[in-house]
Amino acid sequence: MNQFNYIRPSKQQAAIDAVAKDGNAKFIAGGTNLVDLMKRGVMAPQKLVDINRLPLTKIERQGNALRIGALALNSTVADDRQVRERQPLLVQAINAGASAQLRNMATTGGNMLQRTRCPYFYDTAMPCNKREPGTGCGALEGINRMHAIFGFSDKCIAVHPSDMSVALVALDATVLVSGPKGDRRIPFTDLHRLPGDAPEKDTTLEPGELITAVDVPDGPFTKHVSYYKVRERASYAFALVSAAAALDLDGTTIKSARLAFGSVAHKPWRLTAAEQMLVGKPATEETFRQAAAVAMQGAKAFKHNEYKLKLAPNTLIQALKTAAAA
Amino acid sequence: MKEPNKQIGAGMNRVDGRLKVTGAATYSAEYQLPGMSYGVLVGSTIAKGRIKSIDTRAAERAPGVLAVISHVNSPKVPGFVPTGKDPSQPQTVGGRLKVFNDDKVRFNDQPIAVVVADTLERARFAARLVKAQYDQEKHETSMEVGVKQGFVPTQAKKNPKSGVADYVRGTADAYKTGAVKLESEYVIPTEVHHPMELQSITAHWEAPDRLTLYDKTQGTLATRRDFAKEWGLPEENVKVIATFVGGAFGNALHSWPHESAAIIAARIVNRPVKLVLTREQMTTMVGYRPHTWQKIGMSATRDGKITAITHEATGQTSSYEEFTESTVQQTRMMYTAPNVNTRYRIAALDVSTPIWMRGPGEATGAFALESAMDEMAHLLNIDPMEFRLRNYTDKDPEKNLPWSSKFLKECYQAGAERIGWNKRQLKPGSLRDGEWLIGYGMGVGTFGAHRGSSKANVRLLPNGTVLLQSAVTDIGPGTGTAMTQIAADTLGLSPDKIRFEWGNSQFAQAPTQGGSAIVNTVGPAVQEACLALKEKLRTMAGASNGAFAAAKTQDVVFADGYLTLNGNPTARATYADLLRQTDNGFVTVESKPDGEHNKNYSMYSYSVHFAEVRVNPLTGEVRVSKLVSCADAGTIVNEKTAGNQMKGGAVGGIGMALMEAAVIDDRFGRYVTKDLAEYHVPVHADAPAVDVFFVNQPDPHVNALGTKGIGEIAIIGVAPAIANAVFNATGKRIRELPITPDKLI
Amino acid sequence: MNLESDKPAQHDEARRYFLKQSSLLTALALVPGPVVQAASAQFDETVAAAFEKVPLKLEVNGKKYKLKVEPRTTLLDLLRENLNLNGTKKGCDYGQCGACTVHVDGQRVNSCLSFAVMHDGKKVTTIEGLADADKLHPMQAAFVKHDGFQCGYCTPGQIMSAVACVREGHADSEGEIREYMSGNICRCGAYTNIVAAIQEVKNGGQKV
Repeated sequence: MNQFNYIRPSKQQAAIDAVAKDGNAKFIAGGTNLVDLMKRGVMAPQKLVDINRLPLTKIERQGNALRIGALALNSTVADDRQVRERQPLLVQAINAGASAQLRNMATTGGNMLQRTRCPYFYDTAMPCNKREPGTGCGALEGINRMHAIFGFSDKCIAVHPSDMSVALVALDATVLVSGPKGDRRIPFTDLHRLPGDAPEKDTTLEPGELITAVDVPDGPFTKHVSYYKVRERASYAFALVSAAAALDLDGTTIKSARLAFGSVAHKPWRLTAAEQMLVGKPATEETFRQAAAVAMQGAKAFKHNEYKLKLAPNTLIQALKTAAAA
Repeated sequence: MKEPNKQIGAGMNRVDGRLKVTGAATYSAEYQLPGMSYGVLVGSTIAKGRIKSIDTRAAERAPGVLAVISHVNSPKVPGFVPTGKDPSQPQTVGGRLKVFNDDKVRFNDQPIAVVVADTLERARFAARLVKAQYDQEKHETSMEVGVKQGFVPTQAKKNPKSGVADYVRGTADAYKTGAVKLESEYVIPTEVHHPMELQSITAHWEAPDRLTLYDKTQGTLATRRDFAKEWGLPEENVKVIATFVGGAFGNALHSWPHESAAIIAARIVNRPVKLVLTREQMTTMVGYRPHTWQKIGMSATRDGKITAITHEATGQTSSYEEFTESTVQQTRMMYTAPNVNTRYRIAALDVSTPIWMRGPGEATGAFALESAMDEMAHLLNIDPMEFRLRNYTDKDPEKNLPWSSKFLKECYQAGAERIGWNKRQLKPGSLRDGEWLIGYGMGVGTFGAHRGSSKANVRLLPNGTVLLQSAVTDIGPGTGTAMTQIAADTLGLSPDKIRFEWGNSQFAQAPTQGGSAIVNTVGPAVQEACLALKEKLRTMAGASNGAFAAAKTQDVVFADGYLTLNGNPTARATYADLLRQTDNGFVTVESKPDGEHNKNYSMYSYSVHFAEVRVNPLTGEVRVSKLVSCADAGTIVNEKTAGNQMKGGAVGGIGMALMEAAVIDDRFGRYVTKDLAEYHVPVHADAPAVDVFFVNQPDPHVNALGTKGIGEIAIIGVAPAIANAVFNATGKRIRELPITPDKLI
Repeated sequence: MNLESDKPAQHDEARRYFLKQSSLLTALALVPGPVVQAASAQFDETVAAAFEKVPLKLEVNGKKYKLKVEPRTTLLDLLRENLNLNGTKKGCDYGQCGACTVHVDGQRVNSCLSFAVMHDGKKVTTIEGLADADKLHPMQAAFVKHDGFQCGYCTPGQIMSAVACVREGHADSEGEIREYMSGNICRCGAYTNIVAAIQEVKNGGQKV
């Protein structure tokens, strides 16, 4: 790993200035992904701006939403009484990710900003447009078992690995950002981007912009929820496919639904059309199958991930069944 | 009858338990030496070709860098010779990679340079600055291609009686004309040992002709021999210390390029060099279970008697070493079949050399054979256990010899009861618990009960305690504990009066730890050495005490501060007096197997594993909800540690069955599953509480202790048990491991 | 230096000026790769290194340390290579095995995935600090009794994680223990015995 400068500002504006003014500077919070990437030579910032001493750890009510500070640890959020009562889907998603130790380190903001686990991105001896634009996509015609079936481009077919973000995109969260040009709010669906011609950019954040919090609006999804994650072992693994399902039921009739897939695209994949299709329908397996069919429209597989065309809808059906039975 | 002071069998706590739970156990990268420096390897980024140029200037000028060594400036190592005839080493043709010896690249991530610096951080940074240019040649890493190019191993060509040579009993390929027949292909992908401790070595030239290695190895003497040879040194000038080994499972059975590199580096910088591999390098350069293709042809009569089995296998090896293993061996002896033939081939690819991984070839072979047994039972509509019983053999059909002991039927019975085999339905997909399908499966394992030759040193100390020493390593099974128990029982001493020291090449000769042979081999040596000590002390005491002179060895009793005699407590010889008569030297005993037993009996240990699995039919997730492992392993020296080994083997089998696969992108000849996030091994949540049963009947022929060995049979047969249970749950027969969700939806 | 300073540190500018003089900049710039690019921008660290070490106050197992460390030194490497606390193990170095688990301010974390400087002013407990002098911690004693290990390499991490698992209240059932211990891999496969040890400690009601 290269040497770098390390600063630990106590004021938010100083942190933002430090990164905004230096193209080679990065924020560091939990470090669970950045330190890993620096060890492998995938990222090599020359300055790290440690934001851990900024006062961004609170979880509090803010109007009709829960505001979760960007530095609230994953474990803190998952164990928080208010979050457990109001947003059980988020709790399930967070606890499906990583390990107890990593959740004690990873922050809310950092979890959103974790980078893809594509092996071509991780190995500096292989081509990857995300790591080194112009070198080509190693996965496109390589081992693409873990890769995208939605929203990819010929430059990149990587998927976003976060579990937490799948719940947040389903729950209509909003990301609060502070940057050199001031503050702004980004709907969660717009935080992550599709690779297009610039896969090196994971998100729509501008240089120096710092996530300060995420607002999760109150909703009726406090009971019938399920984050169902299918992976190659029972825990501590990235998803092959995951599905977040939240239902508001009136008896057995679906009043409203929130659905999203994980590990199918360069961003957490919200399933709005399938949600709309569910409204007013009975919460039966047949209905769920129809919703899954809608969810899969436009999906396309590569050589090794054809199974996702079946696993993704099945996982969604499983999540819906589990949610309805909860 | 159990004697009051009997330690064998008792679940004694490990003698090194306290060191391990307090963090005080010292592994090979944890020795503090003055002037320590750090080595980091630079790997090739192509799979085959030549290094055209290597630019080390930036690395050399980076702060703290002491040396950058590559083929350009590496000193000539006097003897990069092929591995010798040591039975603990692979029967390789060709030889180990001669690191930095030439400009050739033979596999991707082959070490092409080592950077040495004064701190770890600086060495790691500088290693990234080394850049190589290559003349690339077309490589081949695909086993799809390899299978078509399989060849008879040189070893088999030279010796038709070799275990890897073709074998025929009755008529070859007779299954083709059988009444009920099947022909199935099975694939095991490359699997990686991935012990939790990274491969590490600290190399220290204490003088220009004296080398000390703190090394992760399963054999201190094998490592000593390899590097003494490499440097043209007398073996006694090389000291290898491996007191604690953080798991190995076979990958420290061979000497590897990073060890050579660290020794070269230490010579150049004239300081101790510590070199710890990265987790990626654990995949690329220190061995693995070879990707293996197999085909089983089997025929049976309609009433369930096997008439013929043909077992073919092709395993991968490297371009520079022929690695072979006993993949097809058990098919020759497991069941009564008049017609059996086996063919074993290897395929040379542009990859690093494989090495035995727990259960080695037998575990690979058992996946094919035991899956085929299940397939045939299904075809015949017979319970798979009943089918095995109908083909049970009371003598070795391969060697035509009686078994030294065999209690496999007892294992079947105990296991069937414990798993609840009677719940199993013949028709797949019959059992459900809510959304989850339930299935039951079994798999049998066997492994040769080997006893080699070994020495043991034993010495009485003035305080009445006994010190034993052996060069053997303890990679986790609890060798140190078992030897302490054996010594305690032989001497009639409490275990806390005995100190067993191991893992040092300067101690008494012992084989490399592997092949489930350590208790079988070192155990009798310890036993005999302790008896010799008793006898020596008795003789010494007898010189001035008639009672001792007239007594027998077994009458000697160690009391508090003196030796006495059973039945004659007034006879006394104080330790101080006895030791005054000696030069405080060790009693060393060399113990060898009795060759007659080998000629007259066929010796194997056995296991049978029963699995209950739950399968989600929508998502293809498989959970092993119950595992019962039963073993006929002869005498169990320590129920606690032996049981732990069985449980651990079962967990390894879960890995084989459900998740483990190392994958190469053949375009680059480079692995895409190089770390523990990409290469999955079982975690806590994957493992049920494993239920273990031991027959615990001594084998009368392997050795005087009656042991047969545990480590390998703990995993052999587990993967097919799970695969068979998945079939029973779903009706889907998965013949290519691992059984990941995509294969079941 | 004052890390908390909200102004750019002076040395930064000085260093940058120095680095501009480096003659190898051009040569290295031809080589791609972010690390090499970074290297080129700070090539001659022999001088720069004087600026690089930063102060760090840490309490480890009750002992207070005042250190100067490179920011790139991880907590794990600091413990093992600088403080001679080798009980904390390096199994993967990427947060994928849990062998490096320690407690920072009472919480279990992977020490391989954070830079030591980030823990300035904090209290670290490693396996060496768990026992009360010669008396084993109940979890250590339970691991010995239940043989919750074989090779012993993952053991310190398992035990640190197990203690935290009980303290967090995530050890109420076998299933919960398995899930909350899944961040600690044991390749020897001693899971059955580890879970038994944790259950005994949890059910024994001893203070952990």
